[in-house]
Amino acid sequence: MIELEAVEKAYGSGSTEALVLKGISFRVEAGEYVAIMGASGTGKTTLLNILGCLDKPTGGHYRLEDTDVVSLDDDALSHLRNRKIGFVFQMFHLLERTKALKNVMLPLIYAEEYPDDAEERAKKALTSVGLADRIQYKPGELSGGQQQRVAIARALITDPAIVLADEPTGNLDRRSGLEVLAIFRRLQQEGRTIIVVTHDQAVAEHAGRILLLSDGAIAHDRPVAEPRDAEAELASLPKEDRR
Amino acid sequence: MSFLWVAAEGICALSANKLRNFLMMLGMIVGVALLAVIMAVGKGTQQKVIKRVDTWPIRVIKVNAGGGKGYTRPQAGVATLKLEDADAIRDRIRGWDLMLCVAEKRGLPMKFGSRQCQADVFAVEPTYCEMQSWPVQEGEEIGTEDIRTMARVCVVGTTLAKTLFGEDNPIGEYIYIGKVRFRVKGILKSRGIGPGGTDSDNRALIPLTTGMRRLFNQGYISYVRVRMKSVAAVPNAVKTIRQLLRKRHHISPPETDDFSIVTAKQIAEVARGISRTLTAVLVALAGLSLLVGGVVMMNILLISVAERTKEIGLRRALGATQHAILVQFLTEALSVTLIGMTLGAALGWSVSVALRRYTPVITETAWEPFALVIPFALLFGVAFGVHPARRAARLHPVEAMR
Ligand SMILES: Nc1ncnc2c1ncn2[C@@H]1O[C@H](COP(=O)(O)OP(=O)(O)OP(=O)(O)O)[C@@H](O)[C@H]1O
Ligand SMILES: [Mg+2]
Repeated sequence: MIELEAVEKAYGSGSTEALVLKGISFRVEAGEYVAIMGASGTGKTTLLNILGCLDKPTGGHYRLEDTDVVSLDDDALSHLRNRKIGFVFQMFHLLERTKALKNVMLPLIYAEEYPDDAEERAKKALTSVGLADRIQYKPGELSGGQQQRVAIARALITDPAIVLADEPTGNLDRRSGLEVLAIFRRLQQEGRTIIVVTHDQAVAEHAGRILLLSDGAIAHDRPVAEPRDAEAELASLPKEDRR
Repeated sequence: MSFLWVAAEGICALSANKLRNFLMMLGMIVGVALLAVIMAVGKGTQQKVIKRVDTWPIRVIKVNAGGGKGYTRPQAGVATLKLEDADAIRDRIRGWDLMLCVAEKRGLPMKFGSRQCQADVFAVEPTYCEMQSWPVQEGEEIGTEDIRTMARVCVVGTTLAKTLFGEDNPIGEYIYIGKVRFRVKGILKSRGIGPGGTDSDNRALIPLTTGMRRLFNQGYISYVRVRMKSVAAVPNAVKTIRQLLRKRHHISPPETDDFSIVTAKQIAEVARGISRTLTAVLVALAGLSLLVGGVVMMNILLISVAERTKEIGLRRALGATQHAILVQFLTEALSVTLIGMTLGAALGWSVSVALRRYTPVITETAWEPFALVIPFALLFGVAFGVHPARRAARLHPVEAMR
């Protein structure tokens, strides 16, 4: 599914050039749930941007479903992002003045063909993240956890094979975080590939595999023997805390 | 990519910030409104000119006392044009069928009993009524006999008659023009406001001889009118008259004429020239305001792009191509120009109607501004929108989302 080979990323040029990713190689199979960990500034976001075709590596090879991403032009990368990848950003990145439904529908505008059932699909996506009753709310009228779930619904609207999330729980309380993680688990069970960047060990342990990034290189790559179950943890939270 | 949906995004952005969008439209509104008003005034003036040109009898040549270019009135107090000049013209020109000499004085004191007023006095020959196609409605015209006997008789216009006599019949009554007593022998038909904006019915006609010797006490006339038998004869006659008068008045180059010759063709040219200059100036003004409006729009769009950098980055991340972003912002620019210019055309229309109704300005509302809105909006929208739109499209998704 995903195959990185000696991927490098340098920012700047000449004397100010800084090598952020220093030859990263790994594979992710379809349906895997991977967490990328590492200290701040080690290049996690940089790596995720490359995986998400938002940015191109300055060296090495990146194959996504047999496509050589490095050789693609800007338009092809845009189409690839739209069709194959669902992004969940750390800061939600929702359009402020736009209702949840429209926010979720946004990627469809850039699809090759605008589907007739766009609105239906958006409603379904919002329902699947538990926001059926918040369809007409604007981001400012939603809690952080709800906003993040709108962002997830938006990532899912194009039915992407890969879901990439950068610190998806970073701005959320424990319950909201667990709700997001439960959704990720369900997405994996639907057969999607999930890659989550986090600095939180507990969050990472929900994944089936943890990649530890250190100083622009992979320090560890190990499977999680027994991934945590977000659903079960949610159930064990004190009752009065529940909405 | 679905073009329509991307374009719709650009239009949606418009409703987001109303004040800003109004500011963007302002230049367009003012510019197009100005253009629309100019067109309306231009059209109105043109029709007025056409009317004026139409009423000028095409076979008539008018020779005014006093030089000057274009369509001038006889200059008051200029003593260059004599009856002898008129006689010379009468003898030398071939192909005329009617001639008229007039000595005029504007705003002379008139009196009947205790009623007084001022009116324009025209000392005329008997050909006046035919030449001016202006018959009497009652009584008699100035006749040949009146000229010969230097009779103190007059024909009054309806306004003058009303001022001095009210509802009474003036015919047979005696009035004073200046210090001379005249018997009213006729009333002219009403003509209303003349082309110069004065009341043409506030006048009195008296015999030419009486006027020159008894009232004005002068040896010169104000103008001569010559009606040719055919239009084709006019240009040659004009040439001959000019040569004749220059010779008689001992004018040699580079001295300019001390008389001016007016024909229908010349009036049309002058009128056209005036309205053309006026239109050019106003169009330049409108163009300038459109240009300023365009630059303002471009700058506000640039600010908007800078402010929405994150949004643009997000759209790119979600799969928008550079082309899609370009289309979105160009659509926004085009909507601004299109809406602004349509509003401007409507405003211009309203102003034109208001001008016509409440001011003396003559306007003829035109449909052209509405038709021109589309090509103009396209032109300005693209010209001033493409730069901000390209800047938006070229943003790097990752950098933009920071
Ligand atoms: N556009 C850029 N130009 C120059 N340097 C950059 C740029 N983007 C990132 N960097 C540098 O690359 C390094 C890695 O950045 P990155 O955002 O990938 O870190 P991170 O692992 O995501 O950190 P955090 O956990 O704080 O989000 C940092 O040192 C950063 O300063
Ligand atoms: Mg980061």
